[in-house]
Amino acid sequence: MKTRGVSTAACLTVTALLVASCSGGGGDEGGDGGPVTLKFQSLSDQPAAIEATEKIVGEWNDAHPDVQVEIVPTGWDGVYDKLITQFNGGAAPDVIHYEAASIVPFARDGYLADLSEYMSDERKQDIPEGVLDSVTVDDQIVAYPTELQSYMVFANKKLLTDAGVEIPTGDTMTWDQLREIAKATTKGKTYGLGWGLSSPTAAFMTLAPGFGGEYFSGTGQDAQITVGDGEMALPELVDAMAYQDKSILPVTLTQSGSEAIASFYAGQTAMTVQGSYQAANIAKDAPKDLEWVVLPPLAGPEGAGQAANPQTLSVNIDSEHVEESAEFIEFFTEADNLAALNEADALIPATTSAQKVMADKLGDENGWSTILASGQHFVSAPYLFADAYAQWKDTVATPAYQRFLAQETDAAGLQTQLTDGWDEITQ
Amino acid sequence: MSAPTAPAAGPTTSTAGRPARPLRHRGGLERGRRREAAALVMPSLLPILVLSVAPLVMGIALAFTDARLVRHPDYQFVGVDNFVRLADNSFFWDSFRIGMIWAVSVTVLQLVLALGLAQLLNSGLRLQGLTRVLALIPWAMPPVVVAIMWKMIYSPNAGPLNAFLGALGLPDDINWLADFSTALPAVIVVGVWVGMPQTTVTLLAGLQQIPGELHEAASMDGANAWRRFTAVTWPSLRPIVASITSLNFIWNFNSFSLVYVLTEGGPGGRTMLPMLFTYLEAFKNRNIGYAAAMGVVLVVVVVLLLAVYLRSQFRDDRAVKKG
Amino acid sequence: MRVLVRPAQYVALAGYIVFLGFPLLWLISASVKSSAELNSLTVSLLPSQWHWDNYAQALARQGLMSSAANSLVVALASTVLVILIAMPAAYVLARLKGAIRVAGVGWILVSQVFPVILIILPLFLILRTMNLTDSLVGLTLVHTTYTLPFALWMLQGYVVGIPTELEEAGSMDGATRLTVLRRIVFPLLAPGIVATAMFSFVSSWNEFFFALVLLQSPENYTLPITLTSFIGGEGKVALGPLAAGSFLAAIPSIVFFSIMQKKLTGGLMAGAVKG
Repeated sequence: MKTRGVSTAACLTVTALLVASCSGGGGDEGGDGGPVTLKFQSLSDQPAAIEATEKIVGEWNDAHPDVQVEIVPTGWDGVYDKLITQFNGGAAPDVIHYEAASIVPFARDGYLADLSEYMSDERKQDIPEGVLDSVTVDDQIVAYPTELQSYMVFANKKLLTDAGVEIPTGDTMTWDQLREIAKATTKGKTYGLGWGLSSPTAAFMTLAPGFGGEYFSGTGQDAQITVGDGEMALPELVDAMAYQDKSILPVTLTQSGSEAIASFYAGQTAMTVQGSYQAANIAKDAPKDLEWVVLPPLAGPEGAGQAANPQTLSVNIDSEHVEESAEFIEFFTEADNLAALNEADALIPATTSAQKVMADKLGDENGWSTILASGQHFVSAPYLFADAYAQWKDTVATPAYQRFLAQETDAAGLQTQLTDGWDEITQ
Repeated sequence: MSAPTAPAAGPTTSTAGRPARPLRHRGGLERGRRREAAALVMPSLLPILVLSVAPLVMGIALAFTDARLVRHPDYQFVGVDNFVRLADNSFFWDSFRIGMIWAVSVTVLQLVLALGLAQLLNSGLRLQGLTRVLALIPWAMPPVVVAIMWKMIYSPNAGPLNAFLGALGLPDDINWLADFSTALPAVIVVGVWVGMPQTTVTLLAGLQQIPGELHEAASMDGANAWRRFTAVTWPSLRPIVASITSLNFIWNFNSFSLVYVLTEGGPGGRTMLPMLFTYLEAFKNRNIGYAAAMGVVLVVVVVLLLAVYLRSQFRDDRAVKKG
Repeated sequence: MRVLVRPAQYVALAGYIVFLGFPLLWLISASVKSSAELNSLTVSLLPSQWHWDNYAQALARQGLMSSAANSLVVALASTVLVILIAMPAAYVLARLKGAIRVAGVGWILVSQVFPVILIILPLFLILRTMNLTDSLVGLTLVHTTYTLPFALWMLQGYVVGIPTELEEAGSMDGATRLTVLRRIVFPLLAPGIVATAMFSFVSSWNEFFFALVLLQSPENYTLPITLTSFIGGEGKVALGPLAAGSFLAAIPSIVFFSIMQKKLTGGLMAGAVKG
């Protein structure tokens, strides 16, 4: 009797535990009859892109009262770790938005549904081969590619003209040209180039094909790493520009892409290498008197190839509605939808038809024609199919490149760290 | 040891009440009381057992398996393999070294700065109220917000720190959190900022307990401020300092959130605290068995270090008493 | 000498005030600047144009409000739970000696030393089998468990301060122990309960690590998690709204701590709130 109150408290605790364990995790109604709800985890973070996504989903929901899609917005930061716990905790959404390079490990682990049968032939033909390859794992299409990013050079027209540089035109521009222009425009407190390389791996991987750099051969667990001349060419070029020519504003090497834009706005740098998506931000935030242009795509000795690492939509294999999810993605990737989304994000659509829609609509406004033209140069990237790539990127490659760019290690050291790190991880 | 200035706890007070209890019921009462005590403690014990003791035990067990966070987990006992592998993992020991540098610097700087502030707050200046509130802000704020805030302070784009240095004619284009030479010192400053108030408040309470007469007596003897500090203040504070330093050291060594948001261990692993490293091993590389082994090693090392430190303190105390 | 000491002390105090206070001031300043200004290289404490829109944007963006609601629910629920279960246990801890007390105090101390990283892995697995990952209930229980040692420590300190004679008087009147507890001890504990409650609330409100690992669906995120997701990949940061959201998130904790200011004495509080 005396301890009744306490027992009550104990009971409360136990009850809380029990109730929780019964009610927890039951987000999906899943019952028969009612409308199906699909969770669509979207990483879109530009206000315009969020709006475009909402519009597409709204249209789908209006047309499909039985299959309602709910957007679950989240950020890019830490999303890889998050997906690991989501999948392991059984809380992954139905439709997953993420980049191709990072979903491969999940696909290999069997977390992603095979969409080969669901993807229409029309779509299969509409997606360039190199891009479709990037989402094909063990002969299964595990995702729909949606948006592609290419690296572009944005230039301050006035600073180039003042330095007597003719603004390059033509289909491509060589890295040597870039280096010359950077040298020519470096004087006083102005640097030729600002390049936000705080996450260097993505940039070096994407641009390596221009120098014949492949990094990986073989696929899956058997992937082998090679770091030879082709792979080292770009890091060494950046190093030479930064420390011999002194034509790269040093602080930008430690900044993220968008942080490095500030010095471009301020006229401290004449050019900046950025993901094409920055065109949207530059159009919005650049000082009104800054006249800027997009220079032609960069080409190395092996051409202007950039590794395709598209953003993708994939389906959780444990989703109760794989088929509906695939249908929704099929709708999401129709030409007009992809064109609208990519316009909002200033990215390049992963389908030829959507690229055409955009080209027709936008013409040469804000450098669009150049950005879209760079879309022809995407090639399939071997690193996408190396199982341990995502892990290698974060724990080995990024720190190693950072050390190299800060001159903490030399080229030989970088080579060793990249290969030894890979061996350590995959042993 | 964690609560040097808490009211003297327990035993003496509780026994004081005993004799009043009616003796003839003693046996029954004792049994009843024990059952009663158990019932009163149960609601607290249950969650602690399920969510705290059990995970700890399991965590240690996990360290001896090759468990991975994958779709079809299939793990087995691998003995001390993880530990053997760990001994050769230079990345881990680098991060361990960084963790030690971080924890020691933050703890020492916290102590020195907090001691200064506590002295100021204890010397009858104006503005005390304001200072006290300000001093609590770092303590109160969510670590994530603290990190976001300091990122802005350190930013090379329109960051106030660089602007201030620029105004003094010093280099003003440093990317504090991303530069190899400045990243670790920069996060250490944030660590100090966060932990200082708590240390200050603790030391202040200690200072306030030193009888004023001691200082007066010392002044009479003609001791100057420094002498008074070394002769009176410091010896009185020593026990508090020992316990707050131990705790601060452990907390700092175990720190995660702040640096996770500030740098995520970068650049080039220069701020890769051991907890961060272990987290990445578990939730990026998905090797939870291996990560658990790291956790075990970290706990053991910290406990050993602490034992050495406390023993040296204890020995000093005895030496002081003898001398 | 004396003449010089005071000014020197004030200079030092001013140094402390700037060091401690400026970062927050800067955060507030950033929260009212436009993105163009934040992305320029011009530095000034006062914005060239007051851009209150950041607050509207922060509140509208990516479920900041619902995250705040989640944080509030978890913080309130775990505070209530902690107080409910810690009160009787703290009483026992303070009044009894022997094995229970040694074990209890020992555990409280040990719990301060835990590296959460070792616990989080199995905790994740345990909660998963109970379907409590990605659940606010699960997070509440975890926060309750990990605030408990500190709450026990704090409360038992207050219990010790209550003279046993008062209880004895109660028992003499023939009241049962529970009645004594309810009528005499717990009311006297009120100030201690308020203080403990505030600390529990703030610890839970601020907590990052458990929430980071245990919560997986954005609709369940607590405020700190949502704020980090604002930071964005490849630095696509909307700094203004981020600053605004961060400042708002810090307000409850700062307010509670300011109220608590006078009670913040000594090591009793050590370990109250830590990252």
